[in-house]
Amino acid sequence: MTETTMELAGKVALITGAGDGMGRAHALLMAERGADIAIVDLRGDFAEETGRLVRERGRGTYVAEIDMAEIAAVRRSAGEAAEALGPIDILVNNAGYGQRKLIEEITEEDFDRMYDVHVRGSFFCAQAVIPAMKERRYGKIINISSMWGMNGAPVASHYCSAKTALLGFTKAWAHELAPWNIHVNAVAPGGVRSGGPLKLDDNDVLRAKEAKVPLKRYCQPIEIAYAVAFLASPQADFITGQVLSPNGGEVIVGY
Amino acid sequence: MISGHDKARFDGKIAWITGSGRGMGKAHALLMAERGADIVVHDVLEVEAAEVADEIRKLGRRVLVAHDNIVSPAAMKALAARIERELGPVDILVNNAGIGDHKAIEEITPEAYQRMFDVHVKGTFFCTQSVVPSMKQRSYGRIVNISSIWGMTGTNTASHYCAAKAAVLGLTKAWAKELAPWKIMVNAVCPGGVITEMPIKVQGWDKIREKEKKVPIGRWAQPEEISYSVAFLASEEGAFITGQAISPNGGETIVGF
Repeated sequence: MTETTMELAGKVALITGAGDGMGRAHALLMAERGADIAIVDLRGDFAEETGRLVRERGRGTYVAEIDMAEIAAVRRSAGEAAEALGPIDILVNNAGYGQRKLIEEITEEDFDRMYDVHVRGSFFCAQAVIPAMKERRYGKIINISSMWGMNGAPVASHYCSAKTALLGFTKAWAHELAPWNIHVNAVAPGGVRSGGPLKLDDNDVLRAKEAKVPLKRYCQPIEIAYAVAFLASPQADFITGQVLSPNGGEVIVGY
Repeated sequence: MISGHDKARFDGKIAWITGSGRGMGKAHALLMAERGADIVVHDVLEVEAAEVADEIRKLGRRVLVAHDNIVSPAAMKALAARIERELGPVDILVNNAGIGDHKAIEEITPEAYQRMFDVHVKGTFFCTQSVVPSMKQRSYGRIVNISSIWGMTGTNTASHYCAAKAAVLGLTKAWAKELAPWKIMVNAVCPGGVITEMPIKVQGWDKIREKEKKVPIGRWAQPEEISYSVAFLASEEGAFITGQAISPNGGETIVGF
């Protein structure tokens, strides 16, 4: 066995949007590595199912059906999760959704909802767990951005820019929270064969898109979870303010 | 099946780590050996390389020790052939060998300039060239290039070092694209401050302590904290990651993306 065995034992992870897709993969991988998991999702039945799968792996859970756009609900469930499982050590701001619209098609409601869920929801969820992290001088925050937040796309500019805003939080919080040993990083997934894309694209469209990826495939949710779990682990104690983009070589920019 | 840890292991894999006689390269070699890999310890420092090899043997792994000149393409081609003969084809190449040289522009002689680019860039290029054919043949490979935060941001000295480390990032991006059809992943790790023999000797502890205060998390890393990133990228957990850079730097450098 290697030192990665149960490296999250005794830790509590709050994962937003953990009802399915990538969020569920993060929850199950971290549970297998020893963490108790707080699961919040817009869809209560999906959240319950992730909770069952986590408990099956011998870990404790807190499960709540909440809308990340409602600040009061985000604050309440963060508080309840800490009461149920102990103070939050790891926050994964994962909740999100896609919407393929052109500039002209994006209504005010579309725009507000996109920013409320991805950006405002992540901000106030972090705000809710940071005081206890500061007090204990320990914390790992992982913001889920997107390769579209790095690179843009010819559609969904509200989505792209909300994901870029999460990179902005990542950089700023890394500086602001370093004195309390709180590490903040981003994961910017490329194509994933997961809930959202499978709903938005049919299989032929997905295959055509995969053909354009240097590695010629989209990944499974677990392949994003490996990056998230790595950044959440003690192996990443010297990493903060960085972004890791598992994207099959589709987006190679920056640094 | 989602499993906790098996994809972080390197059982049956062969990893060639340049500059692995001491410092970070030694840490990479030991971590990968602990996780199951057989190791090529490649360093000009013969005594140090032999000690690392002993530690790896104690872990129950096979090891090959080499001292060949990294600047010679012919020597690297011959070394790759020797590794294949004695251990098997290289699965993982960590282009780690490097040198530091804190000099202002005016102080950098043609010899110092050439040495810097030869070791970091030419060495990385031709080590890689020597393993690519067998990686292509097997449609498998992991290449991890060690750059530096100074390759991302520059600094007020050592511009030949900064530029050579930036060139290593250029190789990373280009190779990721060129080699993706053969499932060869190419990534970079850009360490920030790391406590190894080199800075202790060149800068001394007082200077290091002073520099640590300027890092947001207030310290430099131990060598193995860089190894964790290298091993992650070299493992099956990194199978969808190519053309990227991870910079364990304590928040000192936050740029790009």
